[in-house]
Amino acid sequence: MEINRRRFCQLLASAVLLPRLARAEAATANATPMFAAAAKGRDGHYHLYLIGQQGELMLDHILPARAHHTEVHPQLPLLACIARRPGTFIDIVDYQQQRLVKRIMAGRGRHFFGHGIFSDDGRWLITTENEINSGQGRVVIRAMAQDYAVIADYPSYGIGPHELVQQPGSAVLTVANGGILTHPDHGREKLNLDSMQPSLVRLDLHSGNHLEQQQLPAAQHQLSIRHIDTNHQGTTVIALQYQGAPGHNLPLVGIHRPGEAIQLLRAPAPVNLAMKDYCGSARCDHSGRFAAVSAPRGDLITFWDLQENQFISSIKSRDGCGLAATDSPAEFIISAGTGRCVRYNLEHGTTERLPLGFKAAWDNHLTALL
Amino acid sequence: MKSAPTPLWPLLLGISLLFTAVGIAHAAPSQQQWKTLNQSLVEEHILPRYQALQDSSTQLSASTAALCQQPDQDGLAQVQEDFQQTMDAWQAIQHIQFGPIETLMRNFSMQFWPDRKNLIGKQLSLLLQQQDPQTLSIDYLYKASIGVKGLPALERLLFSSTLADFEDHSYRCQLTQTIAAYIAENSRATLTEWRDDYRHSIATAGSEESYYESHQEAAVDMMKSLIEPLEVIRDQKILRPLNGAEQVRPHRLESWRSQRSLRNIQLNIASLSELYSGTSHSVDTLLREQGRAAQADNISTRFTTLEQQLRAVQAPLVTSLNQPDTVNQLLQLGDTLQQLDRELSAEMITLDIQLGFNSRDGD
Repeated sequence: MEINRRRFCQLLASAVLLPRLARAEAATANATPMFAAAAKGRDGHYHLYLIGQQGELMLDHILPARAHHTEVHPQLPLLACIARRPGTFIDIVDYQQQRLVKRIMAGRGRHFFGHGIFSDDGRWLITTENEINSGQGRVVIRAMAQDYAVIADYPSYGIGPHELVQQPGSAVLTVANGGILTHPDHGREKLNLDSMQPSLVRLDLHSGNHLEQQQLPAAQHQLSIRHIDTNHQGTTVIALQYQGAPGHNLPLVGIHRPGEAIQLLRAPAPVNLAMKDYCGSARCDHSGRFAAVSAPRGDLITFWDLQENQFISSIKSRDGCGLAATDSPAEFIISAGTGRCVRYNLEHGTTERLPLGFKAAWDNHLTALL
Repeated sequence: MKSAPTPLWPLLLGISLLFTAVGIAHAAPSQQQWKTLNQSLVEEHILPRYQALQDSSTQLSASTAALCQQPDQDGLAQVQEDFQQTMDAWQAIQHIQFGPIETLMRNFSMQFWPDRKNLIGKQLSLLLQQQDPQTLSIDYLYKASIGVKGLPALERLLFSSTLADFEDHSYRCQLTQTIAAYIAENSRATLTEWRDDYRHSIATAGSEESYYESHQEAAVDMMKSLIEPLEVIRDQKILRPLNGAEQVRPHRLESWRSQRSLRNIQLNIASLSELYSGTSHSVDTLLREQGRAAQADNISTRFTTLEQQLRAVQAPLVTSLNQPDTVNQLLQLGDTLQQLDRELSAEMITLDIQLGFNSRDGD
């Protein structure tokens, strides 16, 4: 079904844009996409790249500024690349036509936080945004069928919402309210570290209804909830960033199940210390049982068992941050600021370097197209 | 052949030489070049400096023990002098923020600074108030907050006390002695691990036994140590106490109690300058090998400028910071640091070194 629909859209697009498509075919002939991510290129510019299974460069789109997360449309050959906070653009790129389809700009008095998703049904683009004057977080829904017009604008029930995800196969959005107040007049400066109150919120996609909100205990209110992923059971893995003074060695990973308090997890002391109070990205594997959490300041990727609520192992990955699940259980793609990308199989403990023909500093997140 | 040189060959030779020159100028250094550089830096720069830190901190530990045994004015003066020597040694190796100094957060234990929330003051007061004898052991300090086990805590104890505070086997003297012993232990462990283990890991980069996948990857840590401190010195040691140059904040200076804020910066710059060009193989020689002599000259000149600018500043900064002249000098110093940062960062692209993207500037 999906392939048919995708093929149909390709044909539809090719009818309108024949010259463009000819170029796209030349660039991507025989290649199957593997992952897409924003990066800083060797030329100093920021790019959105799409990489094929054999390491082919299938798309090279120059971005207006640094981006953060990239999302792939579930049915169409579209990528959405979202500006890093406090940026205001989202580039929607058709990777088959090699064409910028749309540059969405944040509404007046708004900026993005670097994250957004397409809904499972492919109809909506959903982003976290800052309402600059009030400092309140928003979750904004744009309709693809209406040229990305805003059709709903919900509160995120917190400050500084960062990543949001949709629970697979359900209409529930999980939003990470990082709790950190920023204002574009002060760049990326954190304005409320003493009083910050991060939270994890679950919302109904269709109504914006607030289903659940979980906060951390007062003693841990400086653990910013920033990056999350939810598996199909609704279990959310949380990658935390500690904003207090170093040396406290607080837990840096959380697990949340609907209706329950967030359970904080700690790696064994030397690993937890080596994570340097900072996690960069979190992803569940294809089976939903395992999660990977990156700690780029510690050059580590950590692995967690969501069923047993415990740390499994860690591997070294210099400046590694971006994570995506492949279509095999217990397997992840890891991208690094050094330009290195690997496929890691947790079950077999094997690392396979992906053959890339060029070097770029991969930014925080990547998305797999498998 | 010799008898009939074609008129074309000088031209061909010229072209081939040109290609060779261009090739050298643009090629990134080889793994062998990185290996040679890393080895020079470890043997000639890093190990001697950790050795100096171990020697001075061991001496400091001995003199604080002697002071508690027999407190007198000379003994206190000796301890203060040994503290200065230890801080000299630390400031000369503070820029190395990788390897054994990272283990168990030794770097933070050695010096937790800047201390924005007066963590050190609060925790030290608590200890001095409670006078719990159980806190007087290295084992206790291992587990204690980073605020109370490093050089800043020791500085407070040594430079805001009188001899009377150290008499009669006072808790204060014994705490001073314990912290000094802890610092010496930390320094010893760092040096030992470098010698027995980490040096080998760098030398064997790319092999199974190494932490590094390649000599270039090991060099990234060296290059970070050269460049990242420039911003720290500028932002934390200069601009933060200047506080926008309107209402200066002398107590935000590093080591203001021991009146050595300026000396710290001088030692930092001298150390970075040596890291850049003071060893038999250095970043400077590498840049020249890559055909970047003009850029290498600029960087050397910039280091000289920094050293001259620093010499002109009046010490101690904790009092001279209130003078408009000093403020201007420091602002200029900050600008020079920024220029040097830019110039070195630009050469990292020539050398194909990526300093870190997600680890330095994440979200």
